[in-house]
Amino acid sequence: MIRERLGKEVLYFDGGMGTLLQEKGLKAGELPEVWNIEHMEEVIEIHRQYFEAGSDIVLTNTFGANALKFRDSSYELSDIVTAAVIHVKEAASLGVHDGREVYAALDVGPTGKLLKPMGDLDFEDAVRTFGEVMRCGEEAGADLIHIETMSDTYEMKAAVLAAKEQTNLPVFATMIFDEKGRLLTGGDVRSAVAMLEGLGVDALGINCGLGPEQMLPIFQEIVSHTSVPVIVKPNAGLPKQKDGAVYYDVDPAEFASVMEKIVEGGAAVAGGCCGTTPAHIRKMIETLGRRSVQHVEAEEETVVSSYGQAVILGKKPLIIGERINPTGKKRLKQALKEHDIDYILKEGITQQEKGAHILDVNVGLPDINESEMMKEVVTEIQSVTSLPLQIDTVDTEAMEAAMRIYNGKPMVNSVNGKQESMDAVFPLIKKYGGVAVGLTLDEEGIPSTAEGRIRIAGKIIREAEKYGIKKKDLVIDVLAMTVSSDPEGAKVTLEALKGVRERYGVCTVLGVSNISFGLPSRPVINAHFYTMAMQAGLSAGIVNPSSEEMMRSYYAYCALTDQDPNFEAYIQRFGGTDAAAPKGKKDSELTLQAAIEKGLKEEAKEAATELLLTLAPLEIIDSHLIPALDAVGKGFEKGTVFLPQLLMSADAAKIAFGVLKEHLAASGGSEKKKQKVILATVKGDIHDIGKNIVKVLLENYSFDVRDLGKDVDPELIVQTAVDEDIRLVGLSALMTTTVASMEETIRLLRREKPDCKVMVGGAVLNQEYADMIGADFYGKDAMQSVYYAQNVFGEES
Amino acid sequence: MDKRTREAVRYLGYGNHAVDEDTLLLIESSFQELSEAADKRIVYRIFNLCLADGDELMIDGLKIKSHSLSRNLKGCESVFLLGATLGTRVDLLLRRYAVGEMARSVTLQACAAALLEEYLDKWQEERRAELAETGQYLRPRFSPGYGDFSILCQEPILRMLDTAKTIGLSMTDGYMLTPSKSVTALAGISREETPCHSKGCEECGKTDCLYRRDS
Repeated sequence: MIRERLGKEVLYFDGGMGTLLQEKGLKAGELPEVWNIEHMEEVIEIHRQYFEAGSDIVLTNTFGANALKFRDSSYELSDIVTAAVIHVKEAASLGVHDGREVYAALDVGPTGKLLKPMGDLDFEDAVRTFGEVMRCGEEAGADLIHIETMSDTYEMKAAVLAAKEQTNLPVFATMIFDEKGRLLTGGDVRSAVAMLEGLGVDALGINCGLGPEQMLPIFQEIVSHTSVPVIVKPNAGLPKQKDGAVYYDVDPAEFASVMEKIVEGGAAVAGGCCGTTPAHIRKMIETLGRRSVQHVEAEEETVVSSYGQAVILGKKPLIIGERINPTGKKRLKQALKEHDIDYILKEGITQQEKGAHILDVNVGLPDINESEMMKEVVTEIQSVTSLPLQIDTVDTEAMEAAMRIYNGKPMVNSVNGKQESMDAVFPLIKKYGGVAVGLTLDEEGIPSTAEGRIRIAGKIIREAEKYGIKKKDLVIDVLAMTVSSDPEGAKVTLEALKGVRERYGVCTVLGVSNISFGLPSRPVINAHFYTMAMQAGLSAGIVNPSSEEMMRSYYAYCALTDQDPNFEAYIQRFGGTDAAAPKGKKDSELTLQAAIEKGLKEEAKEAATELLLTLAPLEIIDSHLIPALDAVGKGFEKGTVFLPQLLMSADAAKIAFGVLKEHLAASGGSEKKKQKVILATVKGDIHDIGKNIVKVLLENYSFDVRDLGKDVDPELIVQTAVDEDIRLVGLSALMTTTVASMEETIRLLRREKPDCKVMVGGAVLNQEYADMIGADFYGKDAMQSVYYAQNVFGEES
Repeated sequence: MDKRTREAVRYLGYGNHAVDEDTLLLIESSFQELSEAADKRIVYRIFNLCLADGDELMIDGLKIKSHSLSRNLKGCESVFLLGATLGTRVDLLLRRYAVGEMARSVTLQACAAALLEEYLDKWQEERRAELAETGQYLRPRFSPGYGDFSILCQEPILRMLDTAKTIGLSMTDGYMLTPSKSVTALAGISREETPCHSKGCEECGKTDCLYRRDS
């Protein structure tokens, strides 16, 4: 069995397939997998040569065999895949003369589509697409699954989950990096490795894109950070072109000599990709011989990741932003109830700008569907920031939903010492990967002594071990208790913190601000306690990065403990340099109206705050905000104000509205009842900038915009209009290819919600087109849609 | 004002109007931000070209019927197919600024478009110089969606260049390129010099367009 040999003896893969098929006449753009049926002799012959060259594992010719690429093919996908596996088996019987054990690996490449939110392929659809092929491959007799050439961690995750859920086969996973060690989607080596390790693949590594020489440093980075066997499959150099043909020029001897370095450096599986031939593989195996894997001691580090970056705990203290958590936050509760995702995203972005390294996400409220909300918020936050997230919930269903669709290796808050909690959470960590926050409480409650909490930490660590979850994938929260109710609380917490670090060498987190409940000037206590906790070995504090006091503690601590080289971060923050000064010019004398007209955000915020001292929010809107917006809008129409200026004003007005809204939420007041408008970029269309422009303007004119996003199914638009009795729908489309779905949406709306008006806009549209598809209104620019919306609802009131 | 700034201003709908200082600053800082976020990548290959009657042409195995493209490629024997992209990190930035900073998002989008054009202009100039050494000429690039060159041709071009694998460029079911700041194009190679073809924008029949270069 391959699992028994893997990681012990060096196993050899085959080399290039596509390049060899091209030599045999495969055309550019032709599906190579069709050859499994139309030119099976050629395919078997190539496999046979690899077995003869000494390959232990030969890939089936199924790199692009998936339902998305084979949509229009005249062949059944299952026939293609089955034939592919049979060909490798046949070739083995022809080409293996020394009786060695060999394997057929089902080759799985990317779908060729980008996943949502950047593209239009749904994550679960990707899982299904991969699953179909993999099930078929296992049935046909494949010995393992090799997922390769993935340039997107998200697609890789979908493929690995499919393999684990649909088959019992070992899973090999390799990604394609560029010379800088980056994926095409921006991820780095550490983030990809962390995710794959978390998902529990049998072997991981790198293939394609680079020659052996360029791959060497990337391989070294991989091998020094993982204890999973590492696969290396370079191209025969970087691709070159001559007379329109692509070729590779690293010859077998050169290939073998670099592969020798790679295998000596600890690779467990070696092979070739584009441009490599049976001669390359033969030379490599002759040079290297049959040998055991060179063991490399990998660093055991606690790593969480997103698709774009990995964050390592346990070195310099880190900041986990606590703001996306409704506990004690009225405005966030309101945003969650009103499905105001933008407010939540803004909180995330602000925390990143203020220095957070990880963002906590907790959306638990009694009246909302937490699973759905968690999935949506995690997806949306991941599309505006590459900070890793901490999925924070007590609802294991919501936890699993979020872990599944999370792009990367998340932090998961939390598990605790209760058996029930560990039984529920550890299987999820095992399946999806993640770093679990372990709270030191159990069936008996929270121990009042440090020793009691340290003991529970030990229990959590031991229970995790039973699942094969290593200590590096746990961080312990020894719980900060309110000092005002227990004067010993802070001391016990700090002692416990130190204790778990010393006894178990495990990383720690702490929700720092709990400590000060019930005391005046809480920030003073919090900030000092934060410093003490860092001194006691806290790996990451869950804090508010917008709190000046907390950040002072943080930067001062790092500066004083030699964790801020050249005091760079400290000086940047407090040195009074340009970076610390507020951006742009500032004129505090401006009225709110002038600030908005000039598009100055800070000034608009200040002026609105100032006005709140004397005026009611609604009055400010009517007599200051709206007139300013009107003036800018008129200028835009006349051609004296242009789009960027119009939007600068809109952004400033939005900030001012935010101030008023915060005030209303805090005082328990309510806003004027607003008219609802749906906005959506139609099905098939993923360009949403036009829709977003209309949205910010409509919102400023006090419409309640239900933004359904981009690539929206007609049915969802109609359903929302019917369910919420919405009288105006705005649709946007960029290209001719998507106007058809606009037309379809209008047709459905007419049938299901005849009293609903439809306005349309977008680059491809004009009045004539709009009439043709039956829209009520064509907005040639964003202001026109505001005027139309006012008209629609004006007539009714 | 440099060329790409001029182009960005045009994309922002200024036409012939003077651009204000605030917007210029925004443009400048957007280009700066893009210089870090844009992962410019290109893949291209030369294919044989057969021009037939009735505006039909054949590139390797790909058959296309288009009057505008046939005109653009008249007299050519081979053609570059190319795909280029600024990568997904630019999309991430655009999305990020759409939350609360629409002015910046819109400006960044215009600048990204200008940056991509600049990148392709540079590529085109390099190829033109290379070809000149062998006595060949390069035609201006032409993209699916221009004139009557169907946007549906996006799909086979991506497949022939294997762009998903080589540069991370793919498309949606609606034939939109992803990442969004991407281009596919053709550029003909000929042995005879033809009178200078103007670029895409001026070629277009929509003369009342707000964004037209010569408006």
